[in-house]
Amino acid sequence: MLLQIKNLSARIGQKEILKGFNLDINAGEIHAIMGPNGTGKSTLASVLAGKPEYEVTSGEVWFQGKNLLEMSPDERAREGVFLAFQYPVEIPGVSTTNFMKAAVNAKRKHQGLTPMDAKDFLKMMTDKRAIVELSKEFTSRSLNQGFSGGEKKRNEIFQMAMLEPTLAVLDETDSGLDIDALRIVAEGVNKLRTADNAFLVITHYQRLLNYIVPDHVHVMYGGRIVKSGGKDLALQLEEKGYDWIKEEFADLVG
Amino acid sequence: MSDIQQQFEAIEHTPFRQVREDAFRAFEKLGIPSSRHEEWKYTNIKAKLSKEFTFTPQESEVNKSVKAYISSLPAYAFRMVFLNGVFQSSMSIIPDLKGLTISSLKEAFSAHQELIEKHYGKLIDNNEEHFAALNTAFVNDGAFIHVSRNVNIEEPIFLHYFFTAGEAEAFTQTRNLVIAEEGASIQLAEDFRNASNIGVQYNHVSEVYVGKNAQVNVAKLQTETKNVIGIHTMEAQVDTDARFYSTTITFEANVIRNNATARLVGRNAHADLSGLYFAKDTAHIDTHILIDHVAPDCTSHQLYKGVLNDQATGIFNGKIFVKPDAQKTNAFQSSKALLLSPEASVNSKPQLEIFADDVKCSHGAAIGQLSAVDMFYMLSRGIPEEQAKQLLTYAFAHEVVEKIQSKPLRQHLCDKLKEALNLQL
Ligand SMILES: Nc1ncnc2c1ncn2[C@@H]1O[C@H](COP(=O)(O)OP(=O)(O)OP(=O)(O)O)[C@@H](O)[C@H]1O
Ligand SMILES: [Mg+2]
Repeated sequence: MLLQIKNLSARIGQKEILKGFNLDINAGEIHAIMGPNGTGKSTLASVLAGKPEYEVTSGEVWFQGKNLLEMSPDERAREGVFLAFQYPVEIPGVSTTNFMKAAVNAKRKHQGLTPMDAKDFLKMMTDKRAIVELSKEFTSRSLNQGFSGGEKKRNEIFQMAMLEPTLAVLDETDSGLDIDALRIVAEGVNKLRTADNAFLVITHYQRLLNYIVPDHVHVMYGGRIVKSGGKDLALQLEEKGYDWIKEEFADLVG
Repeated sequence: MSDIQQQFEAIEHTPFRQVREDAFRAFEKLGIPSSRHEEWKYTNIKAKLSKEFTFTPQESEVNKSVKAYISSLPAYAFRMVFLNGVFQSSMSIIPDLKGLTISSLKEAFSAHQELIEKHYGKLIDNNEEHFAALNTAFVNDGAFIHVSRNVNIEEPIFLHYFFTAGEAEAFTQTRNLVIAEEGASIQLAEDFRNASNIGVQYNHVSEVYVGKNAQVNVAKLQTETKNVIGIHTMEAQVDTDARFYSTTITFEANVIRNNATARLVGRNAHADLSGLYFAKDTAHIDTHILIDHVAPDCTSHQLYKGVLNDQATGIFNGKIFVKPDAQKTNAFQSSKALLLSPEASVNSKPQLEIFADDVKCSHGAAIGQLSAVDMFYMLSRGIPEEQAKQLLTYAFAHEVVEKIQSKPLRQHLCDKLKEALNLQL
């Protein structure tokens, strides 16, 4: 098993958000998580990435046999966890190129490899940019500065392509994308898919799942998964909304 | 003071003895300021400087460190080299160019009497500025730079001031006079270097005249100033339609005080002053800026940034004066400091005095740590914490370095900044 989340609970401040969350992901799989606003989807992504504001109150997370919760955020990334942010930040003064150089070489060092030479790195940048059809201009500019919403999301997928993670968590990468960008991003994910990696795709729209076909769809409510199924579940949600879920699991939110 | 008096009497007579006399009398009244003086409240310079001073220039050997540095310099077109305040003509490069005079101040005192008489010491208020008065009284030598009407000099002129420790009381006085006539343009890089590994103290004054529609850029480099107690005073007078740019970069110091004044005396003049300091250990870096809007329709821009580690301290005092005639003034000031250690501290004080009614003045000051959100973004990509901090600090600081006009100099300073931050990419 690639990722095993067991009975995970986490809070921010005094507010309990994840409440006994369980999920198993095998290599080669794509899982989608859907659910109403504020049910803790981004929180789950943040906890997996190791965002310090969140406090894990109980449960375990195992990633490739290692205790993920014991690792620092940067260690997790070097081990192969990637989070495509719902809201990527702008960092004036750091170019995407330098940012990626630092990230790629940190991962290589972790794997016992020497830093990439400049030529190979540039070639890799060019190849990976092509996957998300991101022009050269974007990587020489300051990280995300002045990028449109869609450009920021594409930059996230570009970074994912550069870092070749084993587990990628995509938090609403489809929100704010136009139809063409949506297709580009989805195709990017499909190109990066292998038998050894896995994707956890958080989305509100069934539309994305037409392009990235999930093996499993989960509905999250009240800080845990309340329903799981195949891709039909997404269609069912699109059609019926969340009221029936909310009714059935009303006792989970208080 | 009797010893100071003796030293003063011993200075050789120059054509402008009276200027020295007046300054000396003024200094005798002012003395070295204590921290009771409002402008020196946070920098107890009296306690830092030696108790006695030797002003007589120290004739010294050009040491290995100076030689090595000079030979490492890229092939810039112009340079003047000073060692402990003494001009080194053999190490200088001063090509003969029509419309450009580069000479030692000593030489200019006799060769350019008219220009000296008109400009030298005229931008300094001896009754207020302790160290400028002291400098005028005791200065040995410095640079004289004059650009004639409509002459544009593209290459930067480097003024390297090396200090090697001599007597502990040595207090070197250096001085520049820069005159850009109407429509002229020029770039200067004043470079101050401690070429020894022990303490040195110096006091530098620059007077800069930016004539009508002229442009002057000054880069002031204090990147090799470990163990230095340095006091800098720059006074610029900016005339109609003229532009004055100044960027000061400080990487090391014991105590450095940077005073800079830009006086906008002609309509539609522009002044852009910026500075970056990077302070570690117990370095103390104090910046005092005054933008004096005298004429109408002028604009000014200030961008000052500090990065503080360890027990370092930073002071920023930025004054904007808008005089009654200076309608339609547009003045902007920003000062930001990044505190990377809980023991570092910053004192920042903007001071706006506005006597005209139709003006736009804004200022902002921010003191803080690196953004946690930015940090997490870096970490989430596998960049180790230490390197993430370095990258974000570089991002914060390099905005100021970007203001340096000369591309090779700018590149050099970016590299220096990376080096100072230990950042490897
Ligand atoms: N700093 C915080 N302090 C208190 N509550 C917080 C904080 N941050 C988030 N929350 C709350 O945690 C809950 C879960 O938020 P989260 O962002 O995980 O939801 P989500 O499922 O991703 O929602 P969306 O679909 O809108 O993106 C929300 O009710 C939110 O208001
Ligand atoms: Mg969310």
